[in-house]
Order: sequence, then C-alpha cells, then structure tokens
Amino acid sequence: MSSSTTMRPSPIDSFPTPTSSAQAETEKILLEHLPVGDNTAAPTLQKNAHMQYLIRNIVQGFPARYTSQDASQPWLMFWTLQAFSVLQVGLDPGNKQKAVETIMAWQHPEGGFGGGPHQAAHLLPTYAAVCALAIAGKPGEGGGWDQIDRKKMYKFFMSLKQPDGSFLVAHHSEVDVRGIYCLLVTATLLDIITSELVEGTASFIASLQTYEGGFSSASQPYYTPSSSAGGPSILLETPRPPLGEAHGGYTFCALASWVMLLPFLPSSSSASQPKINKNSLLRWLVQMQGVPAELGGFKGRTNKLVDGCYSWWVGGAFALLESIGINPAAVVPGAGAPTAEKQDGDDWDDIDDSLMNRKALQEYILFAGQHPAGGLRDKPPKHADAYHTLSCLAGLSSAQHKVFPSPARRKELLDSWQATANSTNEDGLRKRVFTDALCYTEEEGTETIVGGAPNRVNATHPLFNLTITHTEGMMAHFYKQTVPPRVFKRATAGKP
Amino acid sequence: MIPDPPPVPYSARSEWADVVPIPQYEKANPLAPILYSEEYKDATDYFRAVVKAGEKSERVLQLTEHVIRLNPAHYSAWQYRYETVVDIQWPLESEIALMDELADRYLKTYQVWHHRRLILVLSKKAKEELAFIAKILQKDEKNYHTWAHRQWVLAYYNEDALWAGELDFVDTMMNKDVRNNSAWHHRFFVVFQSGVREGEEDRQRVVRRELIYTKQNISLAPNNASAWNYLRGVLDFNKLPLSTVTTFVKPYTVPLPEHLVDLVDVENPPPGKGAELPCAAAIEFLADVYEEEAQKESIDKAVALWKSLAEEHDTIRKKYWEYRIQQALLLL
Repeated sequence: MSSSTTMRPSPIDSFPTPTSSAQAETEKILLEHLPVGDNTAAPTLQKNAHMQYLIRNIVQGFPARYTSQDASQPWLMFWTLQAFSVLQVGLDPGNKQKAVETIMAWQHPEGGFGGGPHQAAHLLPTYAAVCALAIAGKPGEGGGWDQIDRKKMYKFFMSLKQPDGSFLVAHHSEVDVRGIYCLLVTATLLDIITSELVEGTASFIASLQTYEGGFSSASQPYYTPSSSAGGPSILLETPRPPLGEAHGGYTFCALASWVMLLPFLPSSSSASQPKINKNSLLRWLVQMQGVPAELGGFKGRTNKLVDGCYSWWVGGAFALLESIGINPAAVVPGAGAPTAEKQDGDDWDDIDDSLMNRKALQEYILFAGQHPAGGLRDKPPKHADAYHTLSCLAGLSSAQHKVFPSPARRKELLDSWQATANSTNEDGLRKRVFTDALCYTEEEGTETIVGGAPNRVNATHPLFNLTITHTEGMMAHFYKQTVPPRVFKRATAGKP
Repeated sequence: MIPDPPPVPYSARSEWADVVPIPQYEKANPLAPILYSEEYKDATDYFRAVVKAGEKSERVLQLTEHVIRLNPAHYSAWQYRYETVVDIQWPLESEIALMDELADRYLKTYQVWHHRRLILVLSKKAKEELAFIAKILQKDEKNYHTWAHRQWVLAYYNEDALWAGELDFVDTMMNKDVRNNSAWHHRFFVVFQSGVREGEEDRQRVVRRELIYTKQNISLAPNNASAWNYLRGVLDFNKLPLSTVTTFVKPYTVPLPEHLVDLVDVENPPPGKGAELPCAAAIEFLADVYEEEAQKESIDKAVALWKSLAEEHDTIRKKYWEYRIQQALLLL
C-alpha cells in the first residue's frame, strides 16, 4: 500500500483553509508511523504493554487528570473490563468481587445507576454499569445481577420519556441518542424492554438522519398548538429537524437502536411506519473511512480528522448492516454466501465481503493507534486513555471478525425457547428480542488478521460491545432460558 | 504567573460547620479509583452532604459552582444547581452571566450548553443568544454542541427576527473555511428543514439559489466532500433527479484541461486553475446519475466509473464500489 500514487496527500485544490491545513498536518504525522524503506514486517499488537496499562489503571487507580471523568466511573470500569475481554483475559475472582461491589455502590436508590456513589441516575452510566456487571458479575447473593433493581430501573426509564418518543439522559438533562442506545441495551439485556417503553422511539431515531446519511444527536419536535387550554397538542411529522450534523458516535447509537427496535416495528409497510434511508447511511459510513494517506482510519464527521475511537463507532457499525437488509454476500441471487467453501490458501480478498476496508482499519490501529508505552489512542502524538483503548481494540475486533445474524443460530434459539407459565401478549416480543440479540455468530473461515494469529483479539457482539459469551450469560439469566451450546465447526476445507 | 492558592477547605470554614461531609465510598474499597486532588475530594464530600439533606440555598450555588469549575462534566452538580436556582428564585440574569463565562471556558461539555438552555427556557429571552453563540463559534468553528444549541434556539423560539440573519451568518463561517461541514449542515437546517422562512416562499427560486451557491463553492475547491453532500441533499430533499446537474459535474470527472477558457457560466461554473482533477466525488456523482437512468447503456457507463474509483481514484473503498456494481447489475 505504500506506492506513491495511493499514498498521495488529500487534494487541497490550491485553496487551503483551516480544515485542509489540519488535514495535511495529520497526514504528515500518520505517514511517519508507517514502517520505512524495505521494512515490510507485519505490525504487532503489543498485547502485553496494553495489559500492563490496563492493570495499572485498575489496581493503582487513574491519575488525577481523570477527575474530568468522575461522573463517568462506570465507563472507566467498563472500558477497562471490556478491554481485558477483547484481549482474551479474564479477571481473577478477587478482583471480580471487588468490581461488583464497586459497581453496586453506583446504583441509585430510585433506580438506574449514577456516574459514581451518590450521583444522580443517568442513562449512560447505567449502560456502562450493567455491561460491566455482565463481565464481572453473576447470579445470586453478592453477584450483582440479582441486586439490580429492575422494577425501579424501568420506572426511572419511563420517567425520562418525552412526547416525541425520545428520552432525557437524566432528570433535567438533555435528549441525546447515546442515552437511547444505552437505555435500549440495558432494557434488552435485563428483559425489561416493552412496547410501552419504546413507543414512538423508532420515529424519533428516524428523524435524526441528516441529508448526509449519518445521524445526529437529537431532533427538535414541533407540535400543533393545543386547541383548548391544557388540551393535547399533536407532534408534527414535519418539520422535525436534526440538531447537529451527521456524526459517527451518534450514527452507531442510532443504527444499533434501530436494530434493537425492529421487533417493535409494525410489520406492515403502512405509511406511518418510520423509515430510514439505508443507501445514504451506507454511503456515509463508507465515506468516513480515511484514504491511504490517513492509513485507513475512520473519521466521525465529513471533513474532520480520523480518530481511533471511530474504529468502533463507525467500523463497528458495518456488522449491523445485515440486520437492516444490506448484505453484499447475498447480492447475487442463488450464489449464497461465497465464504463457506473457501480454502485456507485463498486470497483474503475473496473471503472478505465486508463493505469497509478491514485490512486498512487494522493497519491504522496497529501503526498509529498504539501508544508505545501501552494503551491505545486517538492518533499520534496523543496520549493513550481508557476510552480510546477500548474503542480501538473493539474496532480492531470488528475488522478481524465477521459477526452476523445467523439464521441457523436463530432457529436453535427459537427451538429451545421456554415460554413463561403466565404467558402474556408481550411474551412473543420477548422471544423475538432474545433470539434477535443472541443469534449473532462469527462466520467461520472469515477471520482476517493483519499480522497473523498473535494479533488476534476476541469477537464482540456488534450491538452491545460485550463478548458473545458474556451477552449469552446475562440474557439467559434474565430471560430464564437455557441457551443451547454453540457448535464450533472447523471451516470446511473445500472438498465434499 | 503565580497560581491561585487553594481555597480554604470547607471542613475549615465556620459557615459550613453545620454540615457533615459524606465520603464517596462508605463501604467498598473501590476497584479502579480516581486519584483526586484534596480540593476536589473536599468539595464533593460537601456536595454529597447538601444533596442528602436537600438543602437549597445561596451557598449551595457557590458550592456547585466550585464543583463544576473543577469538573464541568459533573452532571449531578448541574442538575442540583438547576433545582436550586428554581427553588430559591435566583436572578436568571446573573445565572446567564455566569454561564457566558463557563460556556466560553468549558465549551466542549454537554452540561454547560444544556444548563444554558434550561435557564433560557425559564427567562424566555433569546435576543442576545445568537450573538453569543457566534462569538463561541469563532473560537471553535466545528463545536457540535454549540451548533446544535444555535439550531435549538432558532427552532424553539421560531421568531422571524432570529432567522433573518442566518444565511449571512453561514456565509461568514463559510468564508473562513468552505470545508466546515457544520456550516453546511446549518445551511441545510435553515433553508430546508425547519419550515419556510420569511421571503423564501418561492421554493423554486430558493432551490436554484442553493444549487448555484453549492456549484460555485465546488468550483472554488472541488475536492470538498461537504459541498458534494450538500448538492446531493438539495436534490434529494426537493425530489429532483441527480441529472439536474450533469452538465455541471462532467468537467470535474476528467483531468483539468491544459488551456482553461475564461468564461462566466453561473449555472455551470468550471473548475479553477488550482483544481486537482479528476475528483472522486464527481466521478461517484456521475456514476449515480447513470445508475438513475437504469438503462443497459447507462449502467455500463456507471460500472466503468465505479471501476475507475475501485482501481485508481478511491481504492480504499474498493469493496463498496464493487458492491455498487453488483447492485446496479441487478437492476437490469
């Protein structure tokens, strides 16, 4: 990839502006991080250095500059624990127990979790705390899972609901699609998602899509003036403008929310059914990948700089496309998935049917994303931090593994579903939520690992950013199901 | 410069003697702790205590301000401050004055902007707001919260007087940096997405104006993804075919001619001398025009353009261009 034509700097058209100058400066620094001359050695994921970095944070603590994240303590915990999981490392029982005790100190007496002890409940730390419990917790006394107050959490969620289907992130706080994503993940994992909870939410998500194809953080509702004093006013379908431009973090949250809401959308193609523009979304996602001079990292907005964290927010979003019907493997009718019958020696290009450049993204993370002293980062010469460490590792994972909603796995889950004794109308929805969430499976024989096996990291669940094992463990517990074991077949070696 | 001495801790102030501070972790010896400064620890110990007691007072405003200055992302401090402002009927003008300073200082946090919004809703005054936002945007031209806040002010108050200056404002920002995508998005918001502004009732004229505006900006700097996205947005929103601008797009899909003809064509401004052509965004656009026609011949032309993107002009997105080829062939 280092030929002079493909590494050409981004065109400036003899018309420099602050954007193009920052871009040129960044490209210059990034190119310095490619191996020089004939050195074509594969890049190495410095697993040991990253492990030491994570252990230092968790045991010694975070330095004082992390005070700015005092209201995000569950995030510091989640980023760290999940980074261990992606690196294929489990915590010892003593530290697991300590983690659970720490996390439970953040639960708010009125439901949900706060950013620290005695802090107000907020949707973002609620996601982080529950996902951290999926990793470190377990059922039973002191295990964390059964000490989550799900009834109060549901009440807390409902108290944040707005007439336009959105949610405040906390009382007296803003509406933000990150909060909706966090709420939906939590409600899905804990079996508290209902039609009542998510009524109108899909329409709100659809209203966030901008003319560029990506999604913004919120939209502004317009209402009809109420006909009588105190009478109801009606939400207008238009105008409902997005506030803010298309953005990688918000686009991931909107797309993942949309996928989690699919079981609740009416199946008819009625006019009132909310819709998103899939083609413009796909176009926007692929346009976020940087050119070779940017080492193929992802940016979060048009004409902004690449940043390692979008390896997950944008790179990770590609694994959700099949759930909304975008599937390049199925494009030729009758051809089926071409990947299953490939042999070991086949060119990687043939087995890779991803719409992003998986190889280039891995190279960005390996060459530019790793801080020499351990931990991962936005871009050189920045410091590593807990957030970028997980985002880069999770992005690396999504570029190495193809995880997709497997029809075969879905069938296994449906077949083993145990209906509850007092079956309600919502039970069919519960079953759909459960199977939709747990049918994600890594496609065999499609691993593509830059630098080879030593650089391999674990696959993550594309909706939750947890390993598939942790997701199954927690959902099986709360849905009171026994998940059938996964059969790991070797990739078939061609000959029948 | 000599740094300010740390303030006297609350534990040593007689006016706080009636409050018993609450440490953060009463039982758990936490995993992954933050190593706070003594000042932060002291202030938040007292903050926890006043929240627990439910105290709403002027000294609580001082305390929350202190916590916020040490950590502007402390949403609980903001939340409690808001409740206190309402409860003790604190003068809103003085709260806005403090917010002017804090927004300037901590412009990257969600909370400074949201608190400001809550106070504006209470005070119902937006007269000075756009000027203030403009000032902040001079410092950080792509700040997401600040742009979103400006859009909220316009949509929430929805007054003609507020909307009136927005296109001029976009021009000011665009003149500084025609690649500022936030400014392009703002333009779309103002022109198309929040109803029809006074004097903009003739939509045909507005669309023509927007197309010319965009084409001229593309001619200035052709490899500007923001402008191409805007062009697509205008056509799509107004249900116009992409082929509306084919004549304009074509010269951008080929190398720059050696001898540029100096002509003024408002509808189809040609690329300037400094243009680096062909431009990948133009090739992509033209391919989409051909795909839209959905005829065998036109699809062949689209396929040839996508191939040139995959193999030469935009190799990083090779897989996507191949996908587009496959999809287009299905149309036949």
